[in-house]
Amino acid sequence: MRKNNCEEIRRELDELMLDEACSASAVEHLKRCPTCREFYETRTKLRQMVGSLGTVAAPPDFDFRLRARLANDSSSQGFHFWPLARKGLAFAAVLVVFLMGIIVVRNIVNQQTNREVAESKPVVPQPAPKLVAPVAPNTVSPSSELTAGVQPGTAPKNKSERSVTGPRVKRPLATVESASMGAQVISGSRIDSEATAVIPIDASLPSFKFSLDDGSGNARTISVPTVRFGSQRMLPNGHQFAQKGIW
Amino acid sequence: METLTTIDELGFARALQEDMLEDTTSDHALLEATRTGDQDAFAELVSRYRNQITSYIYRMTNDYDGAVDLAQETFVRVYRAADRYQRSYAFSTYIYRIATNLAISELRKRKRRKLVSLTGFFLPSDGGEPKELNPPDCRPLQDSELVDTERRNAVQRAISTLPEKYRAPLILRDVEGRSYDEIAKILETSEGTVKSRISRARGFLREKMRAYL
Repeated sequence: MRKNNCEEIRRELDELMLDEACSASAVEHLKRCPTCREFYETRTKLRQMVGSLGTVAAPPDFDFRLRARLANDSSSQGFHFWPLARKGLAFAAVLVVFLMGIIVVRNIVNQQTNREVAESKPVVPQPAPKLVAPVAPNTVSPSSELTAGVQPGTAPKNKSERSVTGPRVKRPLATVESASMGAQVISGSRIDSEATAVIPIDASLPSFKFSLDDGSGNARTISVPTVRFGSQRMLPNGHQFAQKGIW
Repeated sequence: METLTTIDELGFARALQEDMLEDTTSDHALLEATRTGDQDAFAELVSRYRNQITSYIYRMTNDYDGAVDLAQETFVRVYRAADRYQRSYAFSTYIYRIATNLAISELRKRKRRKLVSLTGFFLPSDGGEPKELNPPDCRPLQDSELVDTERRNAVQRAISTLPEKYRAPLILRDVEGRSYDEIAKILETSEGTVKSRISRARGFLREKMRAYL
């Protein structure tokens, strides 16, 4: 009970400000209890010592430095692009290195696989693929173009099969001059097969003109200037390597 | 105290008193003016608090140059955050909170940096409390001012060895003379916690300052 009392009194003394008077009960207790009195005296002395530290003054140029700092801060405010750009560049560099690494590793693995396959299996001679001559531009449809040059039955079914049969044979290509073909006219979402764009081509004309009709009566004519090459401007009797002035 | 005799002097005294009252209550108004771009209002705020804040941070960090730097940073933050300032607390509580946070983060940075401390050479092998590099000089000193200076330095060193959670409330209470309520608001904790931390801090300090007591 007495110990509890001492604790309460000490707590009360501890919470007081230095110049604050303690309660009558605390004064009474201090008269009777030497331990609490010693505690009170020590604490008071300690608090006086700590309180004697006082205030340290700021340097005289404090305001000037603060103003300079604020001015510097306001001038450097705004969007800080460089840190973001630096991060972005670093990320891009890492990505590029990673992708290059993948490509290199893949090439090495492919080369090794091809070499192993070539060494392990004899090359079966394949009949030379028939080259299909390019078809006349106006007679070849885009769908037939896709199959041109590919022999039925000889087409490899998958990638592995293709790699087993030996080196790749260059496919003959058929070209389609789509510039001279009538384009499909789309009205709304359906393809209007009747309405076709008429593209009159006359190479002799100085400019390339063609008109488009969208099927609803809206026609538009587009003129493209003729591209002239040096050979067109050459004189009929002129030498190809003639000096300047002949032109 | 001199007695005022004339009516004019009495009027002047009343006006002065009102001015002083206005000075102590217009921190919010000054910050409002700062928000609208009044540089003089901010200069007035700085002149009111620069010494207090510098001194407080110095007591926390025991490094004058660093304390000046952090005090400036405190004002920069006040200036920048003037738009977001709310009047729910006293301005002094607000600025002391900023200063406390800055000082504590500086102390943590130092701890991470693990600067080579001279007191580190005097660490006991059993991992106990480090001994003071400057033990109290027991020789009799002629000048009482020197004694006071020596004692103050010892107190400052002892405070700087306290853990930061005990250091801030002790300085705010015993050096700055703040109320428990205000300290609790500054440190964003309860009043009971503040009281218990201050009591423990004094206990630690008493052990460290035994030679001077």
